Amino acid sequence: MAEVILKNLTKRWGDFVGVDNQSLDIHDKEFLVLLGPSGCGKTTTMRMIAGLEEPTSGEIWIGERKVNDDLPKDRDVAMVFQNYGLYPHMTIFDNIAYPLKVRGTPKADIRPRVERAAEQVELTQFLGRKPKALSGGQRQRVALARAIVRTPKVFLMDEPLSNLDAKLRVTMRAELKHLSRELKVTTVYVTHDQIEAMTLADRVAVMKHGVIQQLGTPDEIYNDPANLFVAGFIGSPAMNLVRGSVKDGHFITVDGVRLSTIASEDRNEVILGVRADDINVHEAGAGDIDTPIYAFENTGEASFLTVVWGDQRVIARGDRHLRKEQDDVVGLTLNPDHLYLFDPATERRIHL
Amino acid sequence: MTGKQRKQIWNAFQLTLILIATFIMLVPIVWIFLAAFKTHVDVYQLKLFFRPTLENFGTVFDDPYRLGEKLYNSTIVALVTVVFAIPIATCAAYSFSRFRLRGETTMLVMILATQFVPAVVIILPFFVMFRDIGLLDTRLGLILVNLAIVMPFAIWMIKGFIDGIPLDTEEAAMVDGSSRIQVIRNIVLPMAAPGLLTAAIFCFIIAWNEFLFALILTNKDAVTLPIGLALFKGEEGDLWNLLSAAGIIIMAPMFVLALIIRKYFVQGMTMGAVR
Ligand SMILES: Nc1ncnc2c1ncn2[C@@H]1O[C@H](COP(=O)(O)OP(=O)(O)O)[C@@H](O)[C@H]1O
Ligand SMILES: [Mg+2]
Repeated sequence: MAEVILKNLTKRWGDFVGVDNQSLDIHDKEFLVLLGPSGCGKTTTMRMIAGLEEPTSGEIWIGERKVNDDLPKDRDVAMVFQNYGLYPHMTIFDNIAYPLKVRGTPKADIRPRVERAAEQVELTQFLGRKPKALSGGQRQRVALARAIVRTPKVFLMDEPLSNLDAKLRVTMRAELKHLSRELKVTTVYVTHDQIEAMTLADRVAVMKHGVIQQLGTPDEIYNDPANLFVAGFIGSPAMNLVRGSVKDGHFITVDGVRLSTIASEDRNEVILGVRADDINVHEAGAGDIDTPIYAFENTGEASFLTVVWGDQRVIARGDRHLRKEQDDVVGLTLNPDHLYLFDPATERRIHL
Repeated sequence: MTGKQRKQIWNAFQLTLILIATFIMLVPIVWIFLAAFKTHVDVYQLKLFFRPTLENFGTVFDDPYRLGEKLYNSTIVALVTVVFAIPIATCAAYSFSRFRLRGETTMLVMILATQFVPAVVIILPFFVMFRDIGLLDTRLGLILVNLAIVMPFAIWMIKGFIDGIPLDTEEAAMVDGSSRIQVIRNIVLPMAAPGLLTAAIFCFIIAWNEFLFALILTNKDAVTLPIGLALFKGEEGDLWNLLSAAGIIIMAPMFVLALIIRKYFVQGMTMGAVR
């Protein structure tokens, strides 16, 4: 078990910057999620930690040791690949046993350890099969079992759930969480799925264009976003972002609608952030702003009302029993305790 | 005519074409098979029914033809060629497939380009060279020539198979604790095995059938089977029955190999990732 430290880590291919001078301290036993849209450098970061990609500059430390010049096999990490990277010519037993065998574990120790790992991911009855004869979810478990059969210093997981169907993903997510809290090994987990990040992580590093935008607990990332990108990326539906200005303690949209009181001095150009949850839906006249509905959607567990403010669409979340039609007028009230302001020029958060 | 009828006619037409093509291709082989069991007298008649004899197969191994020596030469030359070609080609193919080498594309194209040079053009330099260093009429000389012939082919073919092994699998093995050598031994070779076998068989066939170089570079000690066939042109004309018997001996391993290939070639071609 060990902490992982990245110091000014950079990866460039020619002119293209994959990871841009990033530093990150991953604590011992921590479950850290690298979250970001596709192509932002998450996999590259992870592959550099594993030793599969050579950094252009910067340092990687695992435990007390600088591992920049170590081969993957000498870094004592275990990795779950996005496509699992199973050995198709070996049985499931041999797949799981491979890390033990190749590291010279005594033969007598191998069988019980493989069986225990298989048990932990409920694969016991498939040990004699080849990977081809398993479903996607089962293959995913094999990859997981192969990682947990040893106790490495660090687990690395690259979108391990992304190839599963939606339902299985939810089940496996819970199993993964259970397993990770049981094993208590430092873990770096890559995903573009913010729900996975929110549910699994001790801390999340949100990345964009090879740069970490914010590092914090899921709570901090969600409730205290550092900039427009994080605010817009985290949460489903995404945080509403409305352009306007602040005058006399009120936020006013570009076309002059007074949305809410806000504890801020006067500002000319700002962006207001408000989550769908923090817009309360009332009957017409009973809220602060009467607005016609642009679209009404009912998902069963909630209803979502899209309205147009200024030049932007805004989504409010209503009660699951709420029934409205398009063009009906509703009264909306913003919760003044949960409003965010951003500077459109720097895209940074303006703390109130 | 309904669509179904048209389809049936089309199918029948295709089948007929295939049968005709097969017939044209098989006639010489059938002829050889028949001739090999005929006597010297019967062979000039197109009889389908005759008293078969095994005599020809004995005669070809006797003086003055001594096909056994040629069979031995051919076997040694083809086997040794394969035994050296496949490991060397596998190393080259793995490097081409997995490492970024300086001038990689140029090298690959040049390797392929050697195949475009007509053999007759380079056979004279070979002859002179071999004469000067004493490799004329030796099995070693033939093995070297055959290696030069099959290597480009083997490298390209094996590279194709290794390209088909997902990189993920190798990287997983490295993270799991393997050195590069262990990755190759435990992962790449077993996964590429059907491909390697296919390449080995193709190389064997090429070396086994090689004619031109053997014709020019051997005359007595290292003569191979294809050249040995020329022996059956006697003063009394072509000895078709003996020629046919020898032909069957040359072809026999091909039939066996074709059967093996049929099984592994498809496997080799469709081998791929498990996602
Ligand atoms: N070997 C490579 N050569 C050039 N560009 C690469 C290479 N590998 C990745 N990239 C680029 O680096 C960026 C980050 O890739 P990656 O880390 O895989 O993103 P993701 O966050 O989706 O995992 C992408 O734009 C990708 O195209
Ligand atoms: Mg990725």
